[in-house]
Amino acid sequence: MGLAMVAGCRPADPTLVKIVSSLPRTGSAKQQSDTIVRGIRMAIEEAEGRVGPFRVEYLDLDDSTAAAGQWTSESEAANARRALQDPDVMAYIGTFNSGAAKVSMPILNLGDLLMVSPANTAVGLTKPGLGAPGEPEVYRPTGRLNYTRVVPADDLQGPLSADWAKQRGVKRVYILDDNEVYGKGIADLFDERCRELGIEVLGHDSIDAKAQEFKSLMASVKAANPDLVYFGGTTQSKGGQLAKDMTSAGIGAILMVPDGCREQVFIDSAGASNLEGRCFVTFGGLPPEKLTGKGQAFVERYRQKFGELPEAYAVYGYEATCVALKAIRDVGAKDRRAIADKALAIQDFDGALGRWGFDANGDTTMRTLTVSVVKGGKFEFEAVLDAAAEPVAP
Amino acid sequence: MKPNRPATHDATGAVPLRHWVWAFVCERWDLVALSVLAVAPLMVPALGGALGGQVTTLFIYCILALGLNVMVGYTGLVHLGIAAFFGIGAYLFAILTVPMYPFQMRFVTAAAISALATAGIGLALGAPTLRLRGDYLAIVTLGFGEVAKVTLRNLEQITGGMKGLNPVPPPGAGLKVGGIDLGLAFAIDPRWFYYLSLAVLAGVVVAMRRLEHSRLGRAWVAVREDELAASAMGISATRVKLSAFAMSSAVAGLAGCLYAASLSTTADPNAYDFNRSIMVLCAVILGGLGSIPGTLLGVALLVGFDTVLAPWADSAIQQWNINPSGSSLLSFSGWRLAIFGLALVLVMRYRPEGLVPSRRMAAELHEGHA
Amino acid sequence: MQFFLQQCLIGLTNGALVALVALGYTMVYGIIRLINFAHGDLIMLGACLALTVVSALGMAGWSGAATWLGIVMLIALCGLFCGAINVAVDRIVYRPLRDAPKLAPLVSAIGVSFIFMNIGLFWLGPADRSFPELLPATNLLAGEGLQFTMKDLLVLLVVVPLMIALTVLVKSTRLGKAMRAVSQDPTAAALVGIDVDRVIGATFFVGGFLGGAASVIYGLYINTIGFQMGFQNGLYAFTAAVLGGIGSIPGAVVGGIVIGLVRALSSAYVGERWTGAIVFAILIVILVFRPEGLVGRAVKEKV
Repeated sequence: MGLAMVAGCRPADPTLVKIVSSLPRTGSAKQQSDTIVRGIRMAIEEAEGRVGPFRVEYLDLDDSTAAAGQWTSESEAANARRALQDPDVMAYIGTFNSGAAKVSMPILNLGDLLMVSPANTAVGLTKPGLGAPGEPEVYRPTGRLNYTRVVPADDLQGPLSADWAKQRGVKRVYILDDNEVYGKGIADLFDERCRELGIEVLGHDSIDAKAQEFKSLMASVKAANPDLVYFGGTTQSKGGQLAKDMTSAGIGAILMVPDGCREQVFIDSAGASNLEGRCFVTFGGLPPEKLTGKGQAFVERYRQKFGELPEAYAVYGYEATCVALKAIRDVGAKDRRAIADKALAIQDFDGALGRWGFDANGDTTMRTLTVSVVKGGKFEFEAVLDAAAEPVAP
Repeated sequence: MKPNRPATHDATGAVPLRHWVWAFVCERWDLVALSVLAVAPLMVPALGGALGGQVTTLFIYCILALGLNVMVGYTGLVHLGIAAFFGIGAYLFAILTVPMYPFQMRFVTAAAISALATAGIGLALGAPTLRLRGDYLAIVTLGFGEVAKVTLRNLEQITGGMKGLNPVPPPGAGLKVGGIDLGLAFAIDPRWFYYLSLAVLAGVVVAMRRLEHSRLGRAWVAVREDELAASAMGISATRVKLSAFAMSSAVAGLAGCLYAASLSTTADPNAYDFNRSIMVLCAVILGGLGSIPGTLLGVALLVGFDTVLAPWADSAIQQWNINPSGSSLLSFSGWRLAIFGLALVLVMRYRPEGLVPSRRMAAELHEGHA
Repeated sequence: MQFFLQQCLIGLTNGALVALVALGYTMVYGIIRLINFAHGDLIMLGACLALTVVSALGMAGWSGAATWLGIVMLIALCGLFCGAINVAVDRIVYRPLRDAPKLAPLVSAIGVSFIFMNIGLFWLGPADRSFPELLPATNLLAGEGLQFTMKDLLVLLVVVPLMIALTVLVKSTRLGKAMRAVSQDPTAAALVGIDVDRVIGATFFVGGFLGGAASVIYGLYINTIGFQMGFQNGLYAFTAAVLGGIGSIPGAVVGGIVIGLVRALSSAYVGERWTGAIVFAILIVILVFRPEGLVGRAVKEKV
């Protein structure tokens, strides 16, 4: 084994560029990450495995372990170090979980390796003043930037969801979250905006994502009699079970969930009938079926290749890879710093997600939020909200 | 501790060299292992990469397991919540060092304080519960583990909740020695942490050996073998058990400090859950209760399997393109749990005292287990 | 008041299910002093089988008497399945370790639980799976303003008779007598002509059968199964067994119901996020004051 490890540290190959991704490949997030990896592979295949003068090799790293069933800090740190030590690696696609990004960001920053996340939405990763004290500087020990994300952060999704609820005439909400970085972050932002808008927050509790059922919790929710129940969390943190227990407790309120639940598995695990017409899912950007131009073409190719519509994040995996490939191509040399700078400077990018660019923090300039409703066991388009266009008066 | 010398004299009475070498390796396995591990980073470049980080994690788990061994191995108290003390150590250390808090102590001071404080928490749990019999005590430790995990998660203002506390500065942050910025060196090159953890591990091994043969160590074993007889000999069973509790917790807390420092974050409280306790307990039992080399071997096999071998095998399968469709039946991690489980079952079937049983333990356990 | 009653009802139903699982732990512990870590995962395998059968027969489309008959059949089938697995595991894994150090079977049980989980992973896939609703969601207590549906009733309808049957089995049959004898002293039991290995095997079968029944109830009541469900399930059930006094059948029942109630009430009055901590904190406190559990009798330390 030692020998194989040594092989990983051979001198750089001048004709080869490697792109790695670090996503949870075992455990409950596997289905989501499968679609992202498909998106990444499609982007590389479309470039015919070449970028500028280089061959492209792709390595799909796992940041979860079977024992944990989800991402672990050790695996994520190991992946980041491994990428950093391999002189051929020029881009790091990942991570899926915002918590994992906090581990690898400071490591990759030291080597100026470009990191493009298809799925991190926690605000503190990039936005000064919105996260914990010291964020995001703590993730940039060199003071330089190397991290970008192609997905809009939660400061879009949380508050806009509250605006949407206000528009629908919701007066009383009950907020739940899964106590994870992502879910709790978004629920807190939703909570804050509701209070600003004068929506009454009846309760805000966190669930244990390992619990089996939430019948008692739902009895409490029922007693509070809300118009809307918001759950900040993912399919993996028991979104489906909550919906089930909500129905069996006889709660008629609307259920609203963020993009972590926007996957077919969520509907399957909740049971379509428990969500029918009453579950609204938000999503930063446009859903696969609403994409136009390049995005539409991607969805079509994906469907031909795999016989199903891509999950929402597949497009982000694809887009993240396109960004990395473009930066490498434009630099034309294996210079990590130059590649990261090139990527961060991307403006007016015509990609699968539409026309967008990166702002000074490495965040996407896209400010669109889609609301879908579950009907007939599928996500159906409901509304597009634009942060720039309509600030709702409280 | 010294194994019998193998029958090394041949007919002429001379000792063949290979026998002599083998006897030396058996007897001084510790020095041999230490020197191999000490030169390894200079010989194996991969240790400067991801592998270095993984091996460092192994060392840290070895320290944790040696701590657990004090309770389970020496004193015979089953402990199902060692990860909680590991976590408490990590969090205390983080509180004493992260920029968010005003303390920002140096590595050594912070580590010493957190190890001591963890011992204090161990005492606080141990004092009221030590009169419980075997499996009931085990359940109390399990319960404590769950309580600690939930509390760490929910006391967000103090522990950062699921975000954990970060960034935990590397040892020597801001110190310059001979033109090298120590903090930066620790952050970039995993070999620094490799040597630090190896040194701490070696220190713990030496301390454990000393303890094993000390008055206290013999009292632990006496209480394990026969509490009544030990009390009759004037040993205070409660005090002896409490000291085992404290020692175990302190060593686990120390391991936690290293863990947080090497990851530069406490990670989230789920990193210190029941699974982790069980993994370490299995490593100690698999290796051989009460046996230092056994414990180290147990960790190397079990934790090494999960953190070193499995990721390597997965990426090897991927690189050789054996599994283009991504089926979990063809990936190594798809079978990881079964291989792991089967290994536990088989070792216990054929070596119920563990791979490297402690001699004292083996002799005693063969008499029965009433 | 109504809210309190509702929470108690939920706690009682949940607790009954926990108790059923706890019985599997307590039976095995009572006879060979083994914390059977694999029991939760055995139930997961039972649930896999139940889901496979339910989907294959299209039972979601059945109604009325057919559904109830189907559920009874399902319980019998999964019970036999889990019982058989448990007996096989005892024969292959635990029996050779009867004279081994005390912790060896424990580690083996952990190993078996990992193997079961891997089988479950291949059987179900990595994601949670939905278990179809077989019973109509009619609210039986709508008049009282409480929520108590058919599937809540089902839990009690299955769990209570099983517990009574188990008590009768242990208290007043020859096998039960033999089980109690082996539990007290295996050597003496063997001396009076009891086939100890067979009695232990029978105990594993009974424990497994109860686990199989629990797996069906679990699927129907919780409606979600996944390869990792055994862990949390087992943790609470095992805690219940210890809380009541491990090895004692009424103890497991009392412990299960206490756990169910504590969970429901702490979720309602303290907050869902603290539930896990409160359950275990109460466990620790109870054990400090009653080291032999709620129902268990103080056992003299063997010297």
